[in-house]
Amino acid sequence: MATATPQIPQAPSTAPTLGKPSAVRTTLAITRRELGFFFNSPIAYIVIALFLVVCGAMLFIFDLPEGGTFFQNNEASLRALFGPTSPNDFGGIPLLLAFLIPALTMRLLSEEKRTGTIELLVTWPVTDTQIVLGKYLAGLVFVAVMLLFTVPLALMVGGLGKLDLGLVVGGYLGLFFVGASYLGLGLMASSWTKNQIVAFLVGVTFCAFFYFVDGMVGAVWADARNFFAGLSIKTHSQNIARGVVDIRDLVFYLSLISLSVVVTVQSLMARNWKK
Amino acid sequence: MIEVRGLQKSYDSFQALKGIDFTVNRGEIVGFLGPNGAGKTTTMKILTGYMPQTSGTVTIDGMDINTRSLECRARMGYLPESTPLYPDMLVYDYLRYVATVRGVQSDLIKQRIKAACEMCGIVDRIGQEIGTLSKGYKQRVGLAQALIHDPDVLILDEPTSGLDPNQIVEIRNLIKRLGERRTIILSTHNLPEVMATCSRILIVHQGRLVADGSAAEIELRQADTQRLKVLVVGGDPGQVEAALASLPTVLGTERVPASEAGAVAIELSAAKNQDLRPLVFAKVVENGWQLIGLERDHLDLEGLFRKLTREV
Repeated sequence: MATATPQIPQAPSTAPTLGKPSAVRTTLAITRRELGFFFNSPIAYIVIALFLVVCGAMLFIFDLPEGGTFFQNNEASLRALFGPTSPNDFGGIPLLLAFLIPALTMRLLSEEKRTGTIELLVTWPVTDTQIVLGKYLAGLVFVAVMLLFTVPLALMVGGLGKLDLGLVVGGYLGLFFVGASYLGLGLMASSWTKNQIVAFLVGVTFCAFFYFVDGMVGAVWADARNFFAGLSIKTHSQNIARGVVDIRDLVFYLSLISLSVVVTVQSLMARNWKK
Repeated sequence: MIEVRGLQKSYDSFQALKGIDFTVNRGEIVGFLGPNGAGKTTTMKILTGYMPQTSGTVTIDGMDINTRSLECRARMGYLPESTPLYPDMLVYDYLRYVATVRGVQSDLIKQRIKAACEMCGIVDRIGQEIGTLSKGYKQRVGLAQALIHDPDVLILDEPTSGLDPNQIVEIRNLIKRLGERRTIILSTHNLPEVMATCSRILIVHQGRLVADGSAAEIELRQADTQRLKVLVVGGDPGQVEAALASLPTVLGTERVPASEAGAVAIELSAAKNQDLRPLVFAKVVENGWQLIGLERDHLDLEGLFRKLTREV
């Protein structure tokens, strides 16, 4: 088509440079970057070291819930790692994770808010859900790595006597879900503030709340204890430490995770609410 | 390319934008000018989809910024005011991250990183940690980030603030080069910058657009008078002055020392509404003199800026 007017040189369209938008690729790019941060920061290694030291101590030095230490009892069991076995136990690793995981998640969103990088991130063609899921996934990978570091402990115990493999697998699964729940709560706390310390403390408060909720409510209102037991990470982790992987436990963990992830996404989207 | 209609934005009780309209065509470099708090950054944050407007519409290539946000964002590169970067990442890792998140095809990523680094002059810093770069280099990494997906539209919020004069010139030249085939909106309160880089100026003040056009157009529209310096040979000074004074809209003439021997130099002041230069030329020719110099006063954008953005 011939035109008399001179053509303004057109900038080439961006189409050839940009591939098909892929939510998975975007999310995983965010996950990968967060993992890079985790493993480049001292916090990650401090968390892992602390975790392993306490795991070792709980397993071999402290008195077990059923009384006596590991060596006195003469039984090859990892139960001390997997959580409390009765409502009166203070708690094992699940309680420790309530303090360690918020230390991992405190940075995830608060730091982006503090330095302003969130402003760039949300103006890239990325949805808020992809941002939150990407960061959450990075946390999951980290928790999995953390748990993998305890495998030598399990092997050691396995070398001393025969381990019940089903119990071990169930126990690890339980710990993973407990960690995953704390990750959601910690990430949510991180989305509310620019201050990492605040994010950490709020995160610990939420994690500890969901751990102790039935005991706290039960202490003042005994009738309600059973209801709140259903909301308590402690109760659900007891089941798993006993080797019972109940679908209700999984539903509980998955609900808690989904809820906190949804709240986190909403808190990022909150910038769009004020018009 | 970019159409802004009736854009308003309120923060709680403060109305930051009170209805802004403008259109930016493809290939224009538009300078967004205004005092602090005039609404420049607010406008840019809305254009880039960081936050929604209270009312009004913005379209990029006909796509609404709110309903087709992801598509609009994909076409844009943005450099926020404070150049937020991740200090503990290497330049290369950062750019690869941006390219991946932005959806640049995997097999093109290396090529795009190379192109962006070359354009911004950071090839030799590619393996350095961002936190250890100087401010000027961080700014260039920020620009490279905005360019990595070869966008049609670049939105740069005060791209030269806090840089030293050499760095400012470098970034300015870079922006000019980028503007050869892109649409650029940059905000600044640095007037020489606008004069040096932008083909068009938008001046905002207290949430309203108070001027829109090239520097010369705005000046012509806003200044009260225009001044011309005329250098003529072959005429008697008195006659020349009288002839020029007889031109329409001339308000006054003044004989000034000529820089060249035998020439007559006259300064004219005239009403602003008409370009006098063709008339001056015709007049000189008509009298059989030769015109050897005709100069309009340098644009006084600074005075203009102050006039337009005076607190009322």
